[in-house]
Amino acid sequence: MSNPDIDLRAIEQFLYDEANLLDNPDLDRWIELYSPDGSYWMPVKPDQADPLNHVSIFYDDRVMMEVRRRNFVHPRAASKDHRVRCSHIIGNVRCTGTTAQGDLIVTSNFQCVLYYRREQRVYAGTYEHHLIQEGGRFKIRHKKVLLINCDAPHKSLTIYL
Amino acid sequence: MIKTFDPLNPAAATIDDQQLAGLVQPTKLHRSLYISDEIFELEMSRIWGEAWIFIGHESQVKNPGDYYTTHINHRVPVILVRDRSGAVNVLHNRCAHKGAKLVDTVEGNARAFRCCYHGWTFNTDGSVLKIPNEAGYEGTGFDIKDPQNNLQTVRSASYRGFVFATLSATIVDLPEWLGGAAEVFDNLCDRAPEGEVEVAGGVLRYEHDCNWKLFLENLNDTMHPMVTHQSVVQAAEDYIATLPPEAVDQRAEAEIIPPFGASYENFEESGITGFAYGHHYDGGKTSIHANYSVNPDYWAAMVASYGEQRTKEILSFNTHNTLYYPSITIKSAVQNVRVVRPIAVDKCIIETWSFRLKGAPEEMLQRTLLYSRLINSSASMVGPDDLEAYSRIQDGLQSTGSEWVEMHRHYNRDEQLADRTVGGGTSDLDMRTQYQAWQAYMGRLAHHLPTGGDHHE
Ligand code: FES
Ligand SMILES: [Fe+2]
Repeated sequence: MSNPDIDLRAIEQFLYDEANLLDNPDLDRWIELYSPDGSYWMPVKPDQADPLNHVSIFYDDRVMMEVRRRNFVHPRAASKDHRVRCSHIIGNVRCTGTTAQGDLIVTSNFQCVLYYRREQRVYAGTYEHHLIQEGGRFKIRHKKVLLINCDAPHKSLTIYL
Repeated sequence: MIKTFDPLNPAAATIDDQQLAGLVQPTKLHRSLYISDEIFELEMSRIWGEAWIFIGHESQVKNPGDYYTTHINHRVPVILVRDRSGAVNVLHNRCAHKGAKLVDTVEGNARAFRCCYHGWTFNTDGSVLKIPNEAGYEGTGFDIKDPQNNLQTVRSASYRGFVFATLSATIVDLPEWLGGAAEVFDNLCDRAPEGEVEVAGGVLRYEHDCNWKLFLENLNDTMHPMVTHQSVVQAAEDYIATLPPEAVDQRAEAEIIPPFGASYENFEESGITGFAYGHHYDGGKTSIHANYSVNPDYWAAMVASYGEQRTKEILSFNTHNTLYYPSITIKSAVQNVRVVRPIAVDKCIIETWSFRLKGAPEEMLQRTLLYSRLINSSASMVGPDDLEAYSRIQDGLQSTGSEWVEMHRHYNRDEQLADRTVGGGTSDLDMRTQYQAWQAYMGRLAHHLPTGGDHHE
């Protein structure tokens, strides 16, 4: 779409910055990108309609993000003894519309190579961000991560993708 | 002693029965149980090929032609299907012609099953419907009416909608096999105002890089939560402490996560109950699910169906995990189940299925789904810490520092009742119960099973 108010370059930059906070995870700063009513969703089915009437891999609001942020660095979370490192690549960034609340809907493709527990894995799929535009800055109201293999068996995932 | 597995003769092991029996002692287990490929293959034929294995729930195949495919053990593919008469069948997923796996999608609906190779077609009850160009068989001795030309049926039975199947012709019928442990299936279904549950809200599949038994052993391991799950309990409590109380009351998570940090005394009180065939549960009078708030609309629907007295009885029977050894563990108070699918000696898949209580408000299902995601997802803050421990056992047992894993807790304190054995909640009674069954199945003596605990024949 060709809306002169939308600066696609700024949006891309914002997505890269977000991914960067997940590559060498800094959840304290990552959470600050979300609005107070922000949420993060990873469905388990390709055509999953909603996160409440169907089970999901992730569905965190700010409250659960706050718990996860504390758990992530807890010295007794044994699954976190192995540091996780990621490398995100984002492409095909497109503005595809606006939500009823007026948020920008931004879709993109991503690939994330993840290293954890002596093993390297690849995740790939589509992001859908709902972005609140305030001045020249963005907040994430919602991020949906649709893995191409969402309905496959998964290994432990200790970090947001 | 270990040699390559012979798939045509799985019972022909190099480990003889006496050696096998010696691997399980009253208070210790040999490490080869977890790391030997040969023992794994023997388990697949003697335990998973003998016991009643959970296949699926009838509500997964509601309409004629609905099917769902899975495996009985790590190899044998089966189809759960409702035929045109409405009967639910478990069929071998193998074309009667040259053996192609007939259905290779997980679920769907079919009027008939048509093989992708030469087009043999079968009814949903397994009977052969059509063979193309049949004239070529004339005079060859081939008889289309020979039952060998049908899809072969697996012996199956269902208990309150839960369908089990067995590759054994001799194991006792399902109700006798479930024994007293069936009371937890009853409790799960009785928690529905209409007395029935149905699968809802999808499935989570979680790949575990550990032996399947390590997952089972953890179900009633009440000595681990306060250690393994300390981090998530503290993270939740630290954050909850920053919130105003009104904000906390709204959150089901605030009821679900903190009990994982319950004290040894609390878990002790919950008790463990063992049954024949390796089944057991912890809890009963109380459990980590006992203090969940009751949705008022749900309470009203229950009282309308059962009356107040019976409703109280149903809701106060509070088990934590109930294992129907070896393939399914259920949480009646949460309404979800986990299904075990072994893959290899060091790999299994754990599936989490959630259930709707028929006649209950939708919020009940939403809480179940929240629980499944929060606790059982591969991205949860609970499951990965459990799995970390199992994976480390899988690695640690390669050590030659000791041949044995110990399980002494409360040994000689188990109390034998008519059809069950009971003991304290932190005892290893659950381990003893499972491994008596293991020993009986592996020694091909499953029909002699005692009722769990430390009483040996
Ligand atoms: S293998 Fe199925 S029709 Fe030939
Ligand atoms: Fe646990």
